Order: sequence, then structure tokens, then C-alpha cells
Amino acid sequence: MWVTNLKIVGVVLGTLALYTLIANEIPQVQSEVPQTLTLGTNVTPEQLVAAGEKVFNGIGGCTTCHGLGTRAPNLLTDETGTGPIGVRCGKREPGKSCKQYLFESLDNPTAYVVPGYQPIMPVMTKQLSPEQVWAVIAFLESQGGTVDVTASDIPSTTSTASSTGGGGGGGGGGLAGGSTDPKAIIQAAGCLACHKLEGQGQVIAPDLTHVGSRRTADSIRKKILDPTSSIAKGYEKLAGIMPKTFGAMMNAAQLEALVQYLAAHK
Amino acid sequence: MADGAVMLLQAAADSTRAYGEFPVIGARAFVWITAEVHLMFAAFVLGVPMFAVVTEAIGIFGGDERYDRLSKEFTRLLLVAYSATAIWGATLVFGLSTLYPRFWAYLTAIFAPSMWVYAGLFFVESFTLYLYYYGWDRWKKGRAKLGHWTLGILLNVWGTVVMFIANSWLTYMMSPPRDITPTTDPTTIKLWHAIANATWMPINVHRVVANVVFGGAIVGAYASYRFLAARTDEERAHYDWMGYVGNFIAMSALIVLPFAGYWLGREIYQYDQSMGITMMGGFMSWLWVIQAFLIAVLFLTGNYYLWIGMGRIPGAERFRPYTKWLLIILVLGAIVWGTPHTMIADSKELAAMGGSHHPLLGALGVMSAKNTAVNLMILTTFLSFLLYRRANTRPVVPWAGTGTMIQGAMFAIAAGIVLFYGIRGYFVEAIVRIGFSVYQVLAVLACIVCVTVIDILMARGAQSLGAIRWGKMPARSQYALFILAVTFTWLMGLMGFARSGIRQYWHVWQVMQDTSKYAATPALGYASKMISLCVLIFLCLVAFVFWLGGLAEKSTFVAPGAGDEGGGRGDRHVGH
Amino acid sequence: MNWRRYADHPFWQAAALLVAAYVVIVYVVPLFPGSALVPKSVVLQYMATVLVGVLIYVSDNEERWIRFREPIHAALVEPRLRPVRAGLLVAVPALVGLVAYGQVRTTVAAPPNLRSIHPAPPSEITFRGKTITLTGLDNPLRQHPESSAAYAADGKRIYYQNCLPCHGDHLDGQGHYAPGFNPIPANFQDNGTIAQLTESFVFWRVAKGGPGLPREGTPWNSAMPRWEDFLTEREIWSVILFLYDQTGWKPRTWETAGEAGKRKGDD
Repeated sequence: MWVTNLKIVGVVLGTLALYTLIANEIPQVQSEVPQTLTLGTNVTPEQLVAAGEKVFNGIGGCTTCHGLGTRAPNLLTDETGTGPIGVRCGKREPGKSCKQYLFESLDNPTAYVVPGYQPIMPVMTKQLSPEQVWAVIAFLESQGGTVDVTASDIPSTTSTASSTGGGGGGGGGGLAGGSTDPKAIIQAAGCLACHKLEGQGQVIAPDLTHVGSRRTADSIRKKILDPTSSIAKGYEKLAGIMPKTFGAMMNAAQLEALVQYLAAHK
Repeated sequence: MADGAVMLLQAAADSTRAYGEFPVIGARAFVWITAEVHLMFAAFVLGVPMFAVVTEAIGIFGGDERYDRLSKEFTRLLLVAYSATAIWGATLVFGLSTLYPRFWAYLTAIFAPSMWVYAGLFFVESFTLYLYYYGWDRWKKGRAKLGHWTLGILLNVWGTVVMFIANSWLTYMMSPPRDITPTTDPTTIKLWHAIANATWMPINVHRVVANVVFGGAIVGAYASYRFLAARTDEERAHYDWMGYVGNFIAMSALIVLPFAGYWLGREIYQYDQSMGITMMGGFMSWLWVIQAFLIAVLFLTGNYYLWIGMGRIPGAERFRPYTKWLLIILVLGAIVWGTPHTMIADSKELAAMGGSHHPLLGALGVMSAKNTAVNLMILTTFLSFLLYRRANTRPVVPWAGTGTMIQGAMFAIAAGIVLFYGIRGYFVEAIVRIGFSVYQVLAVLACIVCVTVIDILMARGAQSLGAIRWGKMPARSQYALFILAVTFTWLMGLMGFARSGIRQYWHVWQVMQDTSKYAATPALGYASKMISLCVLIFLCLVAFVFWLGGLAEKSTFVAPGAGDEGGGRGDRHVGH
Repeated sequence: MNWRRYADHPFWQAAALLVAAYVVIVYVVPLFPGSALVPKSVVLQYMATVLVGVLIYVSDNEERWIRFREPIHAALVEPRLRPVRAGLLVAVPALVGLVAYGQVRTTVAAPPNLRSIHPAPPSEITFRGKTITLTGLDNPLRQHPESSAAYAADGKRIYYQNCLPCHGDHLDGQGHYAPGFNPIPANFQDNGTIAQLTESFVFWRVAKGGPGLPREGTPWNSAMPRWEDFLTEREIWSVILFLYDQTGWKPRTWETAGEAGKRKGDD
């Protein structure tokens, strides 16, 4: 009987294995979450490199060929004694700096093909947004070289329909696109859904029109970062309603601008 | 107004913990496995009662005791399977509420009352099941038996309603009514409005039919296991017959399934075109090639089982020469049905083809060709059944010759209509072509119904060419039944992935976004591993359930006559 | 008649069927007019289907199954077939090894990729700063049937000024630049392109071009320019009108609820 049992187990496992094998044989396409990479004007090289590494290993699909194989040059490790890409990129084409060379390889890959390789690389500037492209360049430069990509390299993009959804975003953006205009921050954070300010907004929470006379700048800052730290008289029932997330949504400059703006409302 | 704002802010304040994390395998894998295994058990406990009630009815109205025993044997398995369903369901709920708390809060805010009804019905269903099983021998005769049968029907009603309620939750995730936006406060959504969403009914129908298929397939696998383990010829004969019945029910329901699936697909397209294109042409398009492969396996294996079965029917020799032509149609159909529209090719092949569509074979990859192929495969399978059914009889009614000719003509006309619209589909615009598939389906269904009616009339008083020699089946036919059951289960897992995956990175389509680290929808390779794992877990548990069933009571098989003279030394020339 | 003995034997029948199927798929199919070689993945798929069919054929009848196994059994045990057995014992592992080697060998060829020809369109796009909802959108020029001839003439002029080099004189994707592109330009005469699509889809593809393709449309992105940078909305619609007018295809239409209801009533 155990022979029969083994046979049955074999048939079942064999069928499962066959189906799994077939599904793994075909090219694998994963449906990624569309991500808009927003890099502000004051983006640091470290932020660019970090974002570029993500693109390189993820949505860019670079590692399919630029891994350890023979399809394309290795970028992160030594290649025929010339060092990783950051070291050799400036010496590939005469007259082209490292940055120019890397951008050309992504924008027009067939313009210069490293000897010994086939011109099989797709045009990456069509697949990636300018921010992603420059982040990748910064990442590649960081592999043994110095990063000289700055925010001014990234062409300002008009927002197109292809960039749907917020989806987190990266870098040090902050509310309202990083703007330090307090009115824009108040607008974007939705403060007026509860607070009243200069005659606008709801009356659920304390009126902020004269908040500067009641609280110091330090107290306002503390209140925004940790809303339960102090509760205005008469509003005890509503304690905990104000979201604790505003501190994480703003960058320091924005928070400071907002605090000073409110503190000036005496 | 102010209340609404407070609510919104409350929700925002609560959002600090949106996702939990499960050790080692991760939150998504945990929910995936529990949901899938729960669903498989749920399909089992919904499909098998349908099977049980139908067989009990055959037993009552046809007077064949065997069917009644068969029905009871399966209800016994239900008791254990039922608690397995509940355990996995509870695990799923705990998983959802701890790993996806924000999403779970959203869903409960809308669906809370239906969840209470769900729990209540679950109670009622359990008690009906206990009454049904434990009352079996008490209410065995006359009116009481009919009452007992009614209990079985009630059991199915409760089960179906429970399933419909659960379906409303998941179809809401797929197709929330269009007036609901990300800012809609969930507590303001009317319950019925959320339940009666675009894909609810199509999913309901699709799942009911699929559960029948699934129930039949599992019964077939159970029977084939007992067949292989049988020690006497009589026992073998009993389980051979049971396997045949299971396979028959599974295959008959399978024939209807593509039509239900077609309706669902159509509703998805109507609801959201880009969702439809993601499903059929986007990153999921290859899933349908795999599905086509699985369905081809089902058709070929199902027919194979019937053809081998003809070996045990006296008189079947007459039809033997025809099976190879049926096989040729099925293989050609499988080839067309599996031809991808966008082919996998390397750069050299792409250059030769001038794109990823083959200039000649690409024509086989479009809807017209596929509909034609699958309709012809359905007709062929039906013809196999017909030959099988008629194998050991010779009709004696005076119009037998004419009747057979009419049947033949019906097949020819149906095949002609299918081919005509299939070819014509290449020359008309898309909206007309979609309509053509309805004509093809109607032609096939009409042919099946009419031919069956004629066949039943013609079989009256037919002369027998000898009894079917139940049990005289080679072992490989039983392995075919196993392959059928595994394939059905795997296909169910795959379709579950398709249904759930087309939402992509949304918990609720375009209303609530998945912002966890598992938001990306995995590729087919990863999905297939998960599906195989779920199927394996399910099959192991089902094997355990079957083993328990055997432990509690001896099989329902009762040897005819007083003693079982065969004893342990059953004639084992069949098999191995 | 020795060959007849083989022709009647299921084992040799099976072998002959497999060889014949391979010859047809690999050598005969490309010979048809307008055909091309069959990609390896598809050959494999077809051969697997045929193999399953053949196995079913030889085993669905007990007698045939026994006869089928005779030669296999004989090759494994009969003393006189010793050389055959030895040959098989060498050939089969060698074949498996060869296949395994072919699978793991690194090559310079780009890995096969799936490129979706008609990826899912967004539900709305921004055309020069103006938001256009694609869902349910029809060609606005069709609202004036009386002047459609004029619009089509307009479209024809624009087509010949802009699209001709790639999409060709016959609208068949055979323009003189076409051979240089991968993927090749769309053939509008084929029933698989504009005949399958709504006009709003065509508008999206024309307006956003290759750069506007979503990820499924990669890696060999189409060289189609973003025509929104060169043409006005109305010009694009007239070209689309011209395409359908000239090829005789009807655009795929949106199924309205009323229509669906009517059709259900008809059935």
C-alpha cells in the first residue's frame, strides 16, 4: 500500500511542481506602485545617492544586465582593472566628464558601447523620470568617484498624467512642495478644518487668531509636535483629536516658519 | 458638518499604526495563505453539500440505495471540514485585524451589520449540518426522508447566503461604487449600496458553479484513493463508480464555468476599462496563458478518464475508433487556446517576426480563435460523454436511426455556427465580435440540451449489451482523477490571485491605497509558489480529514450478500 | 513488408507523430506566405501539447498501451539489444546535460522580455496643461458628420506631413524609416491595431508617444514622438478620423449601459 501512497504523493507533487515551473519560466513582470520621486531644490548628494540606489536595484531594472554576468559591464565592482564605475566614468570618452558620460549612457546608450559588448541597452530616459535618471547618475558616481550632481541638473518637470498618485515620495519634501510660506503650509496641512485663523476655518478647536498672546513660540512648537502635551481650557474633551503626524510631514524650515507666523499673531 | 470633520481627524489620528508585521514570512504571505486555504475549505464545505443533496435526491427519486450511502459518506467528511473552515477563517480575521488594522477598520465601518448576520448564519448552518448528518438514519423512510432532504437543501441555502455576504466584502474591494471616493467617510456609506457593487453577482454565480466543480473533483480524488487502496473487487467497483460520479459532476459544471467567467470579465471591463486591460493585456496577460494550459489539462484529462473507462463497458468497442479523432480536435484546440498573443522571444526572433506578434500564428492568439477553440473543446467533451453513455446500450425505438442522424446534424450545425462566427470575428469591429461569442455559446448550449433530450428519449427500453464492469479500471485512470483534483485546486488559487491582483496597489480600488511595503503586486513566479504552497497545505489537511473519516466509521461500502468471501486476498490484477 | 509492421506499432506511430509535429511547427509554418519563424518558447509549448496528446493516444486503450511499452521494455532487458541500451544510457544523460548547459550558460543576448503592445491607458491625461478624461471619450469631430469629409482631408494632410516616414504611404507601417525601428511602427491596416482600440486610446498613444508608455510597454520603447508637442488637439483628432476613414476600420466603441441592456433583451 505504501507504494500506492508514494505514487499518489509523487503525482500530486509532480503536478504542482510542473505548474510552478511553468509559471517561473516565463519572464517575470511585477506590478510596481507608481512612485513620484520629488527632490527639492535643496536636495543633498546623500539623498540623491540613496534614491538612485533604490532605482538602480528596483524599478530601473539595471541589475538584470549590470549584475555579475557577461551581458553588460559590471558597474559596482572592478571591471578589467579600471575600478568601479565612479572611477572609470570620466575616462571613457575623451572630452566628456563623468556626469556627461553617464547621462549619455542612459539617454543614448548606443552612442558609446564599451568594446566587447552588444548595443542592447534600452533608452532609460524614456523609462525613468528625470529625477530618477539623475539620482541613478549620482549613485553611480558615488561608486568610487565624487558626486557632482546637484538639483540644478534636474530639469523642472511639468506634472504629467503619468505620474499618478502620491505614494509616499522620497527625499526631504515636506508639505506643500517644501514651501516655507506659512499660508501654504496651513492650507496643505488642513489646519483650518478645525482651527479658526483670521476669520477663516472651523470652530472645533481653539481660535488661532490671537494664539501668540496665549503661547510662546516654544509652546506652539511643542504643541504641534506633540499635540497632547498641553490642552487649552475647555477643550479637554477633544484631547487626542489633533493628529500627531504634523511634525513628520514638515521639514524643519517649514515648522519654524509656521511657528514664527503663529507666534506673531498676538 | 463639524461632526464629519471630527470623524476625519479621528481617523487621521488613528492612522499612526496602519500595518502590522508577521515574523519570517511577512504580513502579506500570512494573509495570503490563510485566506486561500480558508477559501479552499469554504469551497469544499459549500461544494460537497451540493453534491450530497443531489446524490441524495437521486437516491430518493431513483430508488438507488448506493447514492444515499454515497451522500452520507460525504456528509460525514463535512463535519471535520467544517471546523477546519472555521479555524482558518478565524485565523484570517485575526490576521487581517492585527496586520492590516487600518484597512480592517475601514471595512468593518462599512460592513459591520453584515458581519453580524454572517456570524449568525454560520451558527444556523452548523446546526442544520448536525441535524442533517446525525438525523440521517432516524429519518430514513417516507415523508421523514423528504424532510431530511429539505434539511440538506436548507444547508445549501445557508451556505450560499454566507458565501454571498463574504463575496460582497471582497467585491467591494475590487469595484466600490463609483460615487465613493478616498475622502468618503466609511460610516456614511449605505450598506446595501456597498454590497450590490458591480462585480458582486458575477462573482457569486461564478463561485457557486466553481464550488460544484470543486466538490465533484475532491469527491473524485477521494474515490480514486479508496479505489487504489481497495482490497476486494466489490470495494473497487464501488469506488470506481463513485469516482465516475464525481468526475461527471465536475466536468458537467466545468462546461458552464467559462460562461460565468465571461460575464465577470465583462462586468470588470464595464466597471473600469483600465482594470480590464490590466487583467487581460497588462502585466497579468501571461496569467491567462497559464490558465489556458490548466484548462487544457482539465479537458484532456477528463476525456482521457472517459476513454479509459470505455474499456470496462461491453459494447464500447464500436466507438473506439472515433476517440482518436476527438483527441485530435482536443489537441488542436489546446494548441490554439494556449497560443499567446504577445510571444516570449529573444531579440533575434523578435526581429524576424517584426514585433512580438507572430504574423501568422498571432491570428490564433486573439479572442475569436480562443472562443472557437474552447467551444469546440466543450462540444468534443460532450460528445465523449455521449459515446460513453451510449456505449453499452443499443436503442430499440423505431426512430433510433433518424434520432442519431438528427443528433449528428445538431453537432455539425453547432460546430458550424461556432466556426462561422469564429472566422467572421476577424472581419468585424470589436463590439460586434464580443456579441459573437454569445452566439457561439448559445449554439453550444442549445446543442447540448437538445442532444441530451433526444438521447434520453432514445434510451428508453434500450437493449443492454452487458453490465458495466465497475472496478475494471487500470490504475492510471485513478491518477488522472488526482491530477484533475490538483489542477482544479491550483486553478482556483490562480484565479484568486488574478481577482485579487488586478487591484494592484489598492486595498480598495482607487479608494484606499496600500501603503505597506507589500504594496507591489508580485510576479507570476512568486504567486505560483504561494499557490502551490496553499494547495499543498489544503491537500494535506484534506487527506487528514479523509483519514479521520475512515477512522470513525468503516466505508459506506457494504459487500453484497452475506460474507465477503474475497477477504483480504482481493484479485489484484487491476492496477500497479 | 517490414515498414508496415512499424507503421502499425503504437510506439513508432508516436515517435513519427512527434517528429512530424516538430517538422511542421519549425520548418513548415515559416514557409506560409507572410509567416515567420516560430519563437522557441512557442515551439516548446506546442511540442509539449502534442506530447501529452500522443501519450493519451497510446495509453487510453489497454491493448495499445501494452504494445506501446513492448519496445521500451525490450530495449531495457533483451540481450540482443545491448548496443541500443548502451547507446541510450549514454545519449539520454548527455541530452539532459546539454539542455541543462544551454539553460545556465551565460550569453550576451538581452533576456527575453514581455512587451505589452496595448498597455492599460490612464483614465485621464494632461494635454498641454488641459485635463482630458479618456474613459468614455469619443472623437469630438464625429459630432459634426456633415463636415467629416473636410476633417478627414485635414487629417490626410497632417498624416502626410508628419506620419508618412514611419507609418507609410499605405498606412501599413512600412514607411521608409520603419526598418530601423524596434518595435516597428504600427500597421493600421492590420486588424490588431486601431481596429481593436477606442479612439481615445489612439489619441492617448498619439499625444504621449513612446515616452508616455507605462512600464509594461518597455523595454523596447517605441520611437513614436509625443505629438502633443507638435500638433493641436484638433489636429490629432482629425488624423485619427483620417486613419479610420482610410482603412475602413470602425473604432471600438464604449459599451453604454443602455446598449448592454438592449443587447441582453435581444438575446
